[in-house]
Amino acid sequence: MKITQEIKDKTITISLNGELDASSSVLLDEELSKPEIMLFNKVLVDCEHLNYISSAGLGVFISHLQRFEDAQIKLIFFNMQEKVKNVFEILGLDLLMTIVSTYDEAMTVSNE
Amino acid sequence: MCRYILNIPYNNLIVAKKNSRLFMPDQIKLKKYFIFIAVLSWGLLVGSTIFYSATHGKATPQTQLADFLSYALKAIFVFSVFMVQRIRVQNYKGLDLLGYLWKLFFRAGITAYICAVMYLGYNWLKPDHPEPNNYLLHILYAVNFAFFVYFIGKAFHIWRVLILHQKTKALMLEWKIFEWALFGTLILSLFQFSFLDFIFIPLQPLLAIYAVFLSFHLKWVAYITGGKKWRVILLLLAILASMGIFIQVFISLNNQLTVYNDFLDNPFIRLTTLFVLVYPAFSFLVALFSLPTASVFEQKRSDLLNFQRLTQLIQKGEDKPQVFKTFFESAVNASGSDAAWLELLDEEGAEVIEFINIQEEQLQKIRSEVQNAVGHNFDYVNNNLDNSQLRRLNLPYKSIYVTPLRAAQRTFGILYLLKEVEQGFDRETINVIRTFVSQTNLTIENLRLAEEALQTERYKEELKIASTVQESLIPKTFPSDSWFEISCFSQAAKEVGGDFYDFLQLSEGRIAIIIGDVSGKGISAAFHMAQMKGIFHGLMQDDLEPVKFMVKANNALTHCLERTSFITSSLYIIDYKLKGIFFARAGHCHTLYYNSMTEETFYFNTEGLGLGIIRDQNYSKRIHNMHYDYNPGDVMVIYTDGIVEARNKNQEEYGEERLREMLTQTYHLEADDIKYAIVNDVNEFSQDMPIHDDQTLIVIKFRNVQPNFSA
Repeated sequence: MKITQEIKDKTITISLNGELDASSSVLLDEELSKPEIMLFNKVLVDCEHLNYISSAGLGVFISHLQRFEDAQIKLIFFNMQEKVKNVFEILGLDLLMTIVSTYDEAMTVSNE
Repeated sequence: MCRYILNIPYNNLIVAKKNSRLFMPDQIKLKKYFIFIAVLSWGLLVGSTIFYSATHGKATPQTQLADFLSYALKAIFVFSVFMVQRIRVQNYKGLDLLGYLWKLFFRAGITAYICAVMYLGYNWLKPDHPEPNNYLLHILYAVNFAFFVYFIGKAFHIWRVLILHQKTKALMLEWKIFEWALFGTLILSLFQFSFLDFIFIPLQPLLAIYAVFLSFHLKWVAYITGGKKWRVILLLLAILASMGIFIQVFISLNNQLTVYNDFLDNPFIRLTTLFVLVYPAFSFLVALFSLPTASVFEQKRSDLLNFQRLTQLIQKGEDKPQVFKTFFESAVNASGSDAAWLELLDEEGAEVIEFINIQEEQLQKIRSEVQNAVGHNFDYVNNNLDNSQLRRLNLPYKSIYVTPLRAAQRTFGILYLLKEVEQGFDRETINVIRTFVSQTNLTIENLRLAEEALQTERYKEELKIASTVQESLIPKTFPSDSWFEISCFSQAAKEVGGDFYDFLQLSEGRIAIIIGDVSGKGISAAFHMAQMKGIFHGLMQDDLEPVKFMVKANNALTHCLERTSFITSSLYIIDYKLKGIFFARAGHCHTLYYNSMTEETFYFNTEGLGLGIIRDQNYSKRIHNMHYDYNPGDVMVIYTDGIVEARNKNQEEYGEERLREMLTQTYHLEADDIKYAIVNDVNEFSQDMPIHDDQTLIVIKFRNVQPNFSA
């Protein structure tokens, strides 16, 4: 699992590369728990190279969802592979989180 | 492992003992024969000597024959005494080197003194009889001879043992040549041909030189340690004195007696005597002159022994204090330190666990000085404390060596050694101490690993118990009725898993089925699974409709599920009277269904959020009641994501589509067979890949012939 960041104005884009399983989700949790993340308006998650997400990985997003909402930070997923999206859908997270297809779309959504 | 290696020599020892026991009767018999022959030949020798001395001077035709007989008897006597001693010495068991010398002196050396006493006794009685008593002198001479042969026989074989101590193949050969050459001279001496002189004259000096050469094999002296060395020196002196007495008695007797047949005039006896005399003389000198250097060797030996002890401590299952104690003693001993201490470090500071000749006050001053100078991760040597900061402390010590004990890149202890002399810690000493340190580090590390292994074993045991407990939470008996059949499969990826399912008969013809998957694996998942089972049985007593159940369950879980955990679940209520299924899906895998009327296989694609994701009243908006009317022959497949996410070698997932295809092919079978077909297909797909998530599969088939339920 490789996690990279890109910051543009008040938007941070986190790119996930590989499989988000029990061990790598700890790394993601560390990234999302950093206090400086609260300085942004939007947190974009690029899922283009995310091949697999385990329940532990989902748990990390779920645990930060409420926190981001309270701080009025938008959490947006984009470029999600079909099988990963399916996992989100089965769990019902697609209705709870914003999942869009492209980066541009993600930028517009968050600007609303 | 090591225990077995250690056992091998021990077993060999037993085998060797058995063998020697097997041969023992033969050897005892043989020894008895030789003793008999020796006594007989000696008796005959004495008899013939006395007889011929009586007729001494008269040239008889028998003289030559008598000479030969006398030589033969002497040779037989000498040979049998040597054989007896050979067997005796071989049978000395469990003696150390010193023990051999004791045996030689107390068994054989003493006879020299007996001879001396007898000779002095004879001379003391003589004034009464002015004429020399030839008979008595002859007997005295023969007794002296017998004891002397006994002595050199034993000495010869005991020197043999000492020479062959730590033997090599070459040395064995050298010794064998010597023995055969000696016995060759014994046999040749039987033949009193004049030409033999031509052989003996050059042969004897050669053999004598060879005997002296063999006498240089003195390795055994090096293995004598400490106080034993002095005892060895004294014993060797006593043995040499015995030899001197024997020779003195022979000379005195020869002066008083014109001996008819000089017993000692034999190349074998001459050579053996030379050897028996030269070897202890050399040994004595070597033992004496090795005294000054002996302490060095002894120090090395004790270092080696201490090192061995440290290594063996692990095998013996000793604890840390014992290891530190042994290490400390070894280090102090090896360095010859005048004062020392060993302290262990932990978060709170240093704790002195071993010390010698040091005051608390001094100790603390030295420690703070040294720690200021080098910290506690490095060696510190100072062989001239008068020129250093430590001089201020006014200590009696002139040299110091400090070395840390380290394991897993952490210093856990420090050893301080102090000497009252300058230049006390030379390179040699420091190397020895360092070897002890690294061995101790290894020992401590090994002990830690052994402890960890034990701990892991304990965890495994507890996990096994947890596994058994969880096993008991999964229903073993399935509800059976005439209108449906049910078949279940469940397999955990680890000892305990997070999958669960359960049934509850709500009323006649009305049954609740729940399936769920707790996020994560292992113990914490297993706990939540048990919780969920309790929630299911608690809430469903009131025959709630599925959505109400889910909302209440979500509420209940809010307080006992950690923030990153959630549970996916589906609840089905099958009502026979209404011929319907009422269900709610809380983020769980879609239900696979086969409709026998339309002959279609499909998933119930419904919405519904997992439990524990939203932890407030809003959850009720995210879950929906569903209803489906079933037909006879319909099949419902309920499962967890371990089934559809099972992977093959190429990291492909089994997927919903393969599962649907399987049901399309097997819907006509009985529930049990459908289940087996699916499980086999999943296993075949994933082949030898280890399962990475718990797998649960429930197949429910509504019977074709529905009994007539009258309400």
